[in-house]
Amino acid sequence: MQEQITPQPAHVGPATIAVQLADAARNPVDHAAIMVEADMSHPGMSPIFAKATEPTPGNYRAHINFDMAGDWVVLLHIKLADGRKIERQVDVRGVRSN
Amino acid sequence: MTVSNSPEPRGGLEVDLDDELLESPPFDLLLVPVVGRFLKWRHSRTVLGIPLLTISVVMIWHGLLGPSISPKNLATVLTWVHFRGALVLVILVAGNFFCMACPFMLARNAMRRWIRPRFNWPRGLRNKWVAVALFALILFSYELFGLWSSPWLTAWIIAGYFAAVLLIDGLFKHATFCKYVCPIGQFNFIASAVSPLEVEVRDQAVCSECHTKDCIRGRHAPGSDLVVLQRGCELALFLPAKAGNMDCTFCLDCVHACPHDNIGILSRLPASELMSDPRRSGIGYFSRRKDIAALVLVFCFGALMNAFGMVSPVYTVETWLGHLLHIQSEAPILGLLFTIFLIVEPIVLLGSAALITRTLAGVKQAWLPLVLRYTYSLVPLGFGMWLAHYGFHFFTGLYTIIPVTQDAVASLGRPFLGEPRWTLLGIPKYIVQPIEFGFLLLGLAGSLLVAWRLAEEDSEEHALRAFLPWAVVCLLLFVASVWLMTQPMDMRATMMAG
Repeated sequence: MQEQITPQPAHVGPATIAVQLADAARNPVDHAAIMVEADMSHPGMSPIFAKATEPTPGNYRAHINFDMAGDWVVLLHIKLADGRKIERQVDVRGVRSN
Repeated sequence: MTVSNSPEPRGGLEVDLDDELLESPPFDLLLVPVVGRFLKWRHSRTVLGIPLLTISVVMIWHGLLGPSISPKNLATVLTWVHFRGALVLVILVAGNFFCMACPFMLARNAMRRWIRPRFNWPRGLRNKWVAVALFALILFSYELFGLWSSPWLTAWIIAGYFAAVLLIDGLFKHATFCKYVCPIGQFNFIASAVSPLEVEVRDQAVCSECHTKDCIRGRHAPGSDLVVLQRGCELALFLPAKAGNMDCTFCLDCVHACPHDNIGILSRLPASELMSDPRRSGIGYFSRRKDIAALVLVFCFGALMNAFGMVSPVYTVETWLGHLLHIQSEAPILGLLFTIFLIVEPIVLLGSAALITRTLAGVKQAWLPLVLRYTYSLVPLGFGMWLAHYGFHFFTGLYTIIPVTQDAVASLGRPFLGEPRWTLLGIPKYIVQPIEFGFLLLGLAGSLLVAWRLAEEDSEEHALRAFLPWAVVCLLLFVASVWLMTQPMDMRATMMAG
């Protein structure tokens, strides 16, 4: 699994999270359901959720909005077509104010 | 109403703060039906402490074993959003009721059923210096380690607090931890100077006739001084000479001990205890207590520093300092910022104001006593800043405790509270922000009023001249507070990372 957040460095505003899923033989893993969750590092903040789309097999994209500067944690809740579940955490440190 | 700041029995020194208020007797919370009866019940403190002790244990459990993401963990959400906010709001509208319901004291009282402390707290430490250092250390650690972002560290702080209470009060007699060590308690003592309620004697004449002094000595079994039937004040506050909320944990031991039912929780003018400087039981004169003045400075300037650590400009300043001093590590940079904010800035501002007051108004007091005396006038302003900051997180994240609790219960395999509703947040920012500015304005008004009262006392002829330098200090701090509150929030666990 590979993931990438753009723009880099991340700043307050819209961001795109791209996820690439592949099996051990590097074949794309398609038809997965990916829910992206973004949490701030400070308590008392509501998480942001976004459902990823799959524009090409194995490639997923989700759009979120970093509404505050600071450290964020992006969680990828992945459910594969065969029902298996994968959780991945991506730390996004220092989202900058505009 | 007469607000007595006198350490003397009534008929001695007495400060009439507002003649119009003399007409009506003070409100007494202990005379309110149901509430008063409950508070006067000798087990009320235990009953209030049990829920908080239970919540503390749950917070430790969830902090250590629950989700590592701060907004999803009970330890961080309850500590840094709800506890802090509720604490300052209760102090604002009532008094130091969190010390009353302190879960640490419940554990300590349980321990003391079996373990009797044998030692007295060392004489050299019977002041606030240890507490000042711990208070500053907590503020420093909060920024350095990003405590708000770590459920694990937060849980260990709570657990460590219990351990410290049990260790210190297991070894040392009386309420040593509360009076000399507890940083939260010191925060509450300073903040509750602006509370509208105070544990106070109802009628000084009754006290002057009293020979037993049970309010401080406690009640003992007949024939045996070793068997305590009811504790007196463990913080060495002799009620007839008590003035203000400093060092008062609202434990109500004095209320339970008084054989004449002569102690109430009375209303008063908020911050009135700062407007004069009587000799206070268990404390002495505020103007001679450098340690308490230092505590006030950490309280007030720490409020600004704590908020500064949460907005974008702090990273610009840190990065600039890092380049300037060729330092990559965060701790020394943060240490430098704390030194500037908590030591240099107060010395410059208050020192200059004292010099100008002496010159302009011809006040005869020496420089340092003058600085100490007016330091206390900053308490309302500092409290306003804490209110604005903690109130912001409290109100904007008010309902976040619901999904976090739902999630915690669901993690036990019994989701009877339903699926977490993560969309629940709190009161919108556009409503909270005016409230924040209201708190800051309230603090400014309080500080100006206290400074004016002190100036009037110091120089009858040139009160305005004596007042002006301190008014300027208050205004500068107010402007800084407003500026901080209008900056974009930027909450990073490590400052230098960006």
